[in-house]
Amino acid sequence: MAPRSQTPKQQLQAAITYPLDWLEERSGIVGGVKYFLFRKVPGDVNWFQTLGAATLTAFLVQALTGVILAMYYKPTTGDAYNSIQHITNDIWAGWLVRGMHRWGASVFIILMFMHMGRVFLFGAYKYPRELNWIIGVLLLAMGLGEGFTGYLLPWDQTAYWATVVGININGTAPFLGPFLSQFLQGGTYINDTTLSRFYSIHMLMIPGAIFALIGLHLYLVVRLGVTSPPWSKEAAGTGSTEPPSSTDGRSGLVSPTPRRSAD
Amino acid sequence: MASDRVVERRRVFQQYKADVKERGKPFYPYAMFHDTIMSLVVVATIIGLAVIWKWTIPGAHHIGTEPGWLGKLYDAPADPGTTNFVPRPDWYFYFLFYLLRVFKWPWTVFIGTIGLPNVLLVLLLAMPFIDIRSERHLLRRPVALVASVLVIVSMGVLTYKGATAKEALGSEIVGHVPTWAAKEGFTGNTPALAGAKLFAVSGCLNCHTYISDGGENLGAPVLTAEGAKGKGIAFQVAHLKCPACVNAGSPMPSFVGLGDDNLKKLAAFLEASKGVGKH
Amino acid sequence: MQQPHDEHPHVPGPSLWPIGFAIGVVVLLVGLIISPWWIGGLGAIVALGFAFLWVRDLTRGTELTHAPEVAPESAAARPAAAHEAGSPPERYPRAKFLELSTLGLGGVIGGLVTVPALGFMVLPPFLKQGFKDIDVGPLSEFPEGKFVIVTFASDPAEASVSRKTAFVRYNGPQNGQPSFTIISNHCAHLGCPVQPNGPLDQAHASEYKGSAIIPTVSIAGFGCPCHGGQYDTEGNRTAGPPVRALDRYSFSIRNGNLFIGKPFSVSRVDGTGATATIHKWTFAYPGEHVSGLESWLYPIQPPH
Repeated sequence: MAPRSQTPKQQLQAAITYPLDWLEERSGIVGGVKYFLFRKVPGDVNWFQTLGAATLTAFLVQALTGVILAMYYKPTTGDAYNSIQHITNDIWAGWLVRGMHRWGASVFIILMFMHMGRVFLFGAYKYPRELNWIIGVLLLAMGLGEGFTGYLLPWDQTAYWATVVGININGTAPFLGPFLSQFLQGGTYINDTTLSRFYSIHMLMIPGAIFALIGLHLYLVVRLGVTSPPWSKEAAGTGSTEPPSSTDGRSGLVSPTPRRSAD
Repeated sequence: MASDRVVERRRVFQQYKADVKERGKPFYPYAMFHDTIMSLVVVATIIGLAVIWKWTIPGAHHIGTEPGWLGKLYDAPADPGTTNFVPRPDWYFYFLFYLLRVFKWPWTVFIGTIGLPNVLLVLLLAMPFIDIRSERHLLRRPVALVASVLVIVSMGVLTYKGATAKEALGSEIVGHVPTWAAKEGFTGNTPALAGAKLFAVSGCLNCHTYISDGGENLGAPVLTAEGAKGKGIAFQVAHLKCPACVNAGSPMPSFVGLGDDNLKKLAAFLEASKGVGKH
Repeated sequence: MQQPHDEHPHVPGPSLWPIGFAIGVVVLLVGLIISPWWIGGLGAIVALGFAFLWVRDLTRGTELTHAPEVAPESAAARPAAAHEAGSPPERYPRAKFLELSTLGLGGVIGGLVTVPALGFMVLPPFLKQGFKDIDVGPLSEFPEGKFVIVTFASDPAEASVSRKTAFVRYNGPQNGQPSFTIISNHCAHLGCPVQPNGPLDQAHASEYKGSAIIPTVSIAGFGCPCHGGQYDTEGNRTAGPPVRALDRYSFSIRNGNLFIGKPFSVSRVDGTGATATIHKWTFAYPGEHVSGLESWLYPIQPPH
C-alpha cells in the first residue's frame, strides 16, 4: 500500500509498475520485451535497414485482411466468384479490405526482394548470419507460394487459367513432376477439391510456416545483432576506439554522441 | 583447431558486440521510430493502391469487369472450356512467364519452366557458403556487385517484356478490322475486308504482326506493307497453300485447310495492304 | 509401541487409491439408477478393491500390522543377510528403458496421427480417377470433313468445373465404322486453351444436353495464343514450344450418338483423316515429352 506521503506522480508510477511486476514475476515476459526494445543497435544504422520491418508490416496487413476476408469468402467453385463479387460490391468497406489484400501481396513481394537485395549488398548474410539468410530465402519462396495459391481463389478466368499453367509448369519437373501436378490439382484436372486445397494451403499451411520462420528470423536478428552499413566509418566490428564524430549527422539514422555527454 | 579465418571472424564478431555495447543506441526509440515511419509509408501505399484500384473503374458505381488504372476488379467467371482467353500470372511472376517465351524450342521447355528457376533458388540458398569472404564493402566485392546488377537488370527486363508481351486473340482482333481498313485504305474492297477478318481469326497474328497487333515471338515477318512488295495474288495463294514450297526452309504451316475461296480473300487482303497511310 | 505424542503427525503419503474408491462409489450409485443391474455390482467391487488398498496403505508403517524384527540366531547369518539386503545390480538400467520406450511410444503416437492424415492428403488425387463417356449428340450434328467445337462437361456430377472443349471432325466411314478425330483444346506446352485457326459458323451454334456445339467454316489448324504454339489439322505440332501433338479423346458410338471417352496423348500423327496412323501414349500432362530421349524424364505416369 502506498504510504500517504507519496506524490500523485509516484502513485501513478506505482500503479503502472504494479501490474507489470505481477506479470514479470509470473512469466518473465516483461523482461523479454524490455530486452527487445532497449537492446543496443549500432549507432549508424541506415534507412535501408528499415525494409525488414516494412516487410513484416506488409505481411501483418496481409494476415489481418486475409483472416477477415475469410469470414465472407466461400471456397467452393459454385460460390467463390459470387462471394468475391459480394465482398467487392456490397459489403461495407469490402472493396477496401479486398483491395488491401490484393495489393498488399504485391507490396509484400516487392519489399521482400528489396530487403533481400539490401541484405545482399550490405554483406549481412555472412558469418554469423548465414542461417538467417537461408530462413529469409525460404520466406521468399513461401511468399511467392502464397501469391500463387491465393491467385486461384477469386475463381475468375484469370485465376483459373494462370493456375492451369502454373500447375503444368510444376508438372514438367522430371520424375515427380506429374505426381506433384496431380497432387496440387487434387485429380487429373482442376476441380472442386483443387480450390479447397489451394485455400487450405493459402490460409493454413503456408502462413503457419511463415509465422514460424518469421519468429526464428526475428529471434536471430535480436540475438546476432544488426550490421552497420559497410561504408560507415564507425562500423561496429571495426573496433575503432576514436570518439565517434558528432558533426556528421547525415551518415545514417543516428549520429552517435560523444562519450562525454551524459547518457 | 579452428583455421585462422574462423578465429578472425569470431574475433570480429566479438568486437562487433563490444562496439555495439559501448557505442550503440537503444533500438527503442531510435531505430524503431524509423521503422514505424517506414511501416506507415507501406500501409499508406497499400491503402492508396486499394483505393485507386476501385475508384478509377469507369461507370457510376465503379464496379464490374471494366478496367481502371490498375486493371479489373475481377474477370468473367472461370470457364474451363473456353477457347477465348489468354492466361497471365500476377505481375511478380512476369519474369518467369517471359522465360517460357525465351525457351521456345520443345526440347528446352523444362529449362525455362523449372530448370533455371530452381538453379537460381539453390544458388540463393547456398549464397553464404559460396561467398565466404568476410569483406562487406561493396566496392571491394566485385563479383557480388556484378552479379547483383546483372540479376536486377535481367529480372527487370524480363518483367517488362512479360508485361508488354502481346498475343493474338482472334475474337478480339477481328474488331480491329475497320481500323485496319481505314489506315491501309481498303475499306471499299470487299474481298480484302473479308480477307482481313479471316486474317484476324485464322491465327496468323500468333506469329505475324500487322500494324500494332500480333505476337512478335516467333520472328515471322511484319505484314503491314505486304502488298507493297508486289508479289501478286497468285503468289500469295500458292504460298499460303504450301509456304515451304515457295520459300525454302520456311517454318510456316500450311493453310490449305481454309479452302480456295478463303485463300483468295486472304491474298486480296495481303495485296491491298500497302502500308499505313499509303493507299 | 509408538510414542503417544509423535513430533511429526502421521500424514498419509500421496496415493491413487482414494480416487479409484471414489470412482467405484460413483459407478455403484449410478448403477442403482440406470438399468443393467451389474453396473452397480461392478462399482461395488471396484470400490471395495480400492478401499482395501487404501486402508492397507494407511496402516502400513504402523505397529498395528507389523511384527517386531527378530535378530538372526547366529553371527554367521548376519553378513549373508546384510549382503542380501543390498540390491542386486540392475541388468537393464531403468533410465535407458524409459528413454527408449518414450521415444518409441512417441513415434507410435506420431505415426498413428500423421499417417492416416497424410494419406488422406496425398492419396485421393491418385485413387478412383478415370473418365466417363459423355453423350455429345447424334451423328448428324457432325458433317464430314469439318471440325465442330464441342464444349461438354466431362463429369456430370461436377458440372461446370469439369467442362472441356474438343474439336470433333467426322472423317467418314472406316472399315464400316464411323471414324472421328477428336482433338483436345489443351495446348501440349503448358495447357493454355488452343484456338482454331479459321472462321467459325456462330450462326449455327447449338446446344445438346448442356454441351455447346459450334460448327466451323474451315480450319487450317490450331494455334495457342500463350507462347505461339501451332498445330496442323491432325494436331501435330508445326511451330512453337509444344513438346508433342495435341491430346485426343477416344470415342464410342451408341444408338447413333457420339460418346466422347478417355483422353490419351499423341506423339505424332502420320497421314490424315480416317486412315491416319496415330502414335498413342498414356495420357500425360502438358509439357511432358512422351517419346524420344526426353520422355525418360517422365518414366511413370500417376494413375489418371
